[in-house]
Amino acid sequence: MAEQAYTVASDSETTGEEKTSPAFPEIAIGIDIGTSQCSVAVWNGSQVELLRNTRNRKLMRSYVTFKDEVPAGGVSDELAHEYDMLSGAAIFNMKRLIGRVDTDPVVHASKNLPFLVQTLDIGVRPFIAALVNKMWRSTTPEEVLAIFLVELRAMAEVKLRRPVRNVVLTIPVSFSRFQLTRIERACAMAGLHVLRLMPEPTAVALLYAQQQQQSAHENMGSGSEKIALIFNMGAGYCDVAITATAGGVSQIKALAGSTVGGEDLLQNLMHHLLPSMDHIFSSHGIEEIKRMGLLRVATQDAIHQLSSEMSVPIDVDLGNGTKISKFLERAEFEEVNKEVFQKCETLIKRCLCDAKLEAEDVHDVIIVGGCSYIPKVRNIVMSICKREELYSGMNPLEAAVRGAALEGAVASGISDPFGSLDLLTIQATPLSIGIQADGSNFVPIIHQNTTTPVRKEQNFTTVHDNQAEALIFVYEGDEKTVEDNHLLGYFKITGIPPVPKGVPEINVCMDIDASNVLRVFAGVIIPGAKCPPPFMEVRMPTVDDGHAWSAQTLHKTYGSTLDLVTVKKKGQH
Amino acid sequence: MFCNSYGLIPVSSSPPPSISPSSLHPRIYYPSNSQLRTKFGSLKAKSKLNDVVSYAELDNRSFYHLLGIPETGTLLEIKQAYKQLARKYHPDVSPPDRVEEYTQRFIRVQEAYEILSDPRMRDMYDKDMAKGLHFAFSARRRYQNDESMEEIGEWKNRWQSQLSELKRRSTRKDSGNSMSWGARMRRQRNEASS
Repeated sequence: MAEQAYTVASDSETTGEEKTSPAFPEIAIGIDIGTSQCSVAVWNGSQVELLRNTRNRKLMRSYVTFKDEVPAGGVSDELAHEYDMLSGAAIFNMKRLIGRVDTDPVVHASKNLPFLVQTLDIGVRPFIAALVNKMWRSTTPEEVLAIFLVELRAMAEVKLRRPVRNVVLTIPVSFSRFQLTRIERACAMAGLHVLRLMPEPTAVALLYAQQQQQSAHENMGSGSEKIALIFNMGAGYCDVAITATAGGVSQIKALAGSTVGGEDLLQNLMHHLLPSMDHIFSSHGIEEIKRMGLLRVATQDAIHQLSSEMSVPIDVDLGNGTKISKFLERAEFEEVNKEVFQKCETLIKRCLCDAKLEAEDVHDVIIVGGCSYIPKVRNIVMSICKREELYSGMNPLEAAVRGAALEGAVASGISDPFGSLDLLTIQATPLSIGIQADGSNFVPIIHQNTTTPVRKEQNFTTVHDNQAEALIFVYEGDEKTVEDNHLLGYFKITGIPPVPKGVPEINVCMDIDASNVLRVFAGVIIPGAKCPPPFMEVRMPTVDDGHAWSAQTLHKTYGSTLDLVTVKKKGQH
Repeated sequence: MFCNSYGLIPVSSSPPPSISPSSLHPRIYYPSNSQLRTKFGSLKAKSKLNDVVSYAELDNRSFYHLLGIPETGTLLEIKQAYKQLARKYHPDVSPPDRVEEYTQRFIRVQEAYEILSDPRMRDMYDKDMAKGLHFAFSARRRYQNDESMEEIGEWKNRWQSQLSELKRRSTRKDSGNSMSWGARMRRQRNEASS
C-alpha cells in the first residue's frame, strides 16, 4: 500500500489570513556562534546562502581583540598570525564562559586560556580581562559577545543592503535557561531581536528535513517517516539529537548535551605534553602568556594533523629552558582523551534510550561540527549506531547555520512557491524543569524531552501543621538533588489555610509557550472558597548572577518551615 | 519540628477548622481555569466566546476525534494525522493573530498523539472509552498520574519500556499492511481465486 505523502490540508480560513500579512516581512538571519568559529546565513528567496565577510570568508573566528579604544572582532579583523590571538589582548571561548559562575569546572578549565579568568570560588561571575597596554582591562562574556554580534550585524547589513534586526541563533543543548538569558542580553546589546534560540542539532535536523522532503519530491516517493541521529561536536560542546522526519516536519524525539568539546581535547593534550603547565602559567605574566600561546598553537596543529596522520612530530621551544620535542602517536592522543570520548559515547546511548529507539531504528546518522573530522569521534558514532557509513549530504561546518537560516525564514512567515520552506520543527525540552520538594529533592514537572509548547501541573502539600506559606524553588536539570541542578528562581505563596500538614492542595503549573518562555503558576486551591488567594504567575528565570548564594541563604534563614512535599497518590507509598 | 515565627499562623484557642480530605475532592482544573484567565486578562478585544465553546467541545471529544482518525487507526495513520495537524496548529506556522488559540489546540493534539502512539497507553485509553470514560481531558489526567507512578521504581520503568517496545514492534509490523486480520484473509482469498 502506497503511503500518502503529508500535505497541508487546504484550510480557507488560515490561508486567507496568511495572505493578508505584510507584503515584505523581514527575513530573520541565522547565526551560528561557535566556541571557535562563527557563520551567518540567510534565505535569499530561493535557497540558503552563507554570507562572506570583506575577506571573502564564510567561517570567521569567534574572538574580540581589545586594543586602545576600539575593540575589533574576528568578523572584520584579520590576524597576521594565530599567535596574535594568543597575546592576551584577545578574548575568545565566550560561549564556554557565558552565564557561568566561578565555581563551575568549565570556568576553572578556562584559567589556562591566554587572557585573564580569575575565580574567587564563591559562586559569583568570574573576573575576565584582556591585556591592553600591559594592563588587565575587565570585560564580561556578554560584552565580548555583543561586540562580536555588532560586527556580524554590520557585515550582514552591508551584504543584504537592508537593516538586520531579527535573528535565529543556535545554542548548545546543555545551555540552561539562565545562560539563554545571557545570550539574549548580548543580542539586545547588539540591537538584535532573538526570534528563536535553536539547539544546534535541531537546526541540523531541520536542514535534514528539507533535504528529505526535496528528495521525496524528486523521486515522487512517499513521505514516510525517517529517523535521524545527529551528533554535533564543536570546540566547546557536544550535542546529540534524534529526529523523526516526515513531510518537512522535524519532530525532535530526544536531546542530550554536555560541555565537552575540542577545547577539552586540546587542554588534555597540552597537559600531557607539559604536565607542569598549570603551575607555570598560573601567574599570567606577559612572558607566560606568550609561552602558553606557543604551546597552544603547537598542540592545536598536532591535533589537526592527527586526523590524517598516524603520528606527528611536535617541536616547540617555550623558552626559559623548556623545550618539547617528541613524536605524538594518534593512539596516544586517543588515550589521553579517553574520558572525553567516553562522554560522547554515553551521550549517544542516552539519547537513543530516551527516544526509546535502538540503533537499528535509525535511518541516517549525521555527524557535524569541527570535531567530526577526528577519526576516533567518527568511529565511536559509527560503532554505537552500528553502521559502515555516515550521512554525506551536509557540510559539517555549515549545517547548523543553514538550519538556523531555514528556521529564520519559516519563523518570519516566508513561504516558497516550490515548497522548499514547507518546514516545521517540533522542539523538545533539553532539560527537565521542576521544583524543590520532599527535602532537597528535585521534582520535575515538565520532564526532559517533552514536546513544546507545553503545560503541565502537579499538586504539592505542606510539611507542617498550620503552615501558612510555602517557598517555590524552580530548578532546571536532570539530577536528583536540587544542588546539582540550575536554579531558575523562587517565590513565596501565601494564604494557605490553617489546617494539618498534608491537607492543603498547592498547585504548581508550568507553561512553555511558542517562543520558549517559561511561566510558573502556583497557588493554593481552596474548594468552595468565595475569594481564594490569587495565584502567582512568575516568568522564569528570575535569578541573576550569584544565584547559588540566594538559595543557600534562604535555606539557612527558613530551614524547612516553608517546604513542600509531593502529594502521594492512592496505592503509592 | 516547630515552625518558627515565619509562616506560622497565630495560634488561636479553638482548633483550626478541619477540612476533610474528601471535601477537597471537587477539583479545579487549572489549565482551563487559566485559559479563561489569560483570555480575559489579556483583554483581547475580539469576542472569544466561540473559541471558549470550542475548547469545551475539544475537551469532550475523544483523542481519535481530535486527530481525525478512526478508532481502528494504525500507528502510521496516527503519526500522519499528528504531523498534519502540527503543520496547521504549531505556533511557528499558525497565523500570527491566532497563535494563542492554536497553541492550545496544538498542546491537545500533542497529548492525544502521545497517548495513542504509545501502545500501552492507547490500550488503557481504549478500555476506558469502552467503559464510557471517553472524556479526553479527564482521561489525560489519568494517564499523567499513571506516568508519574511509573517512576516509583526504576525496575518497573525498565520493564514497562521493554514491554511497550515489544508492543511497539508488533504494532509496527501490523502497520506495515494496515488492515485487519479479516481484510487480510479476504484479500488472500481473492488473490487465490483470481
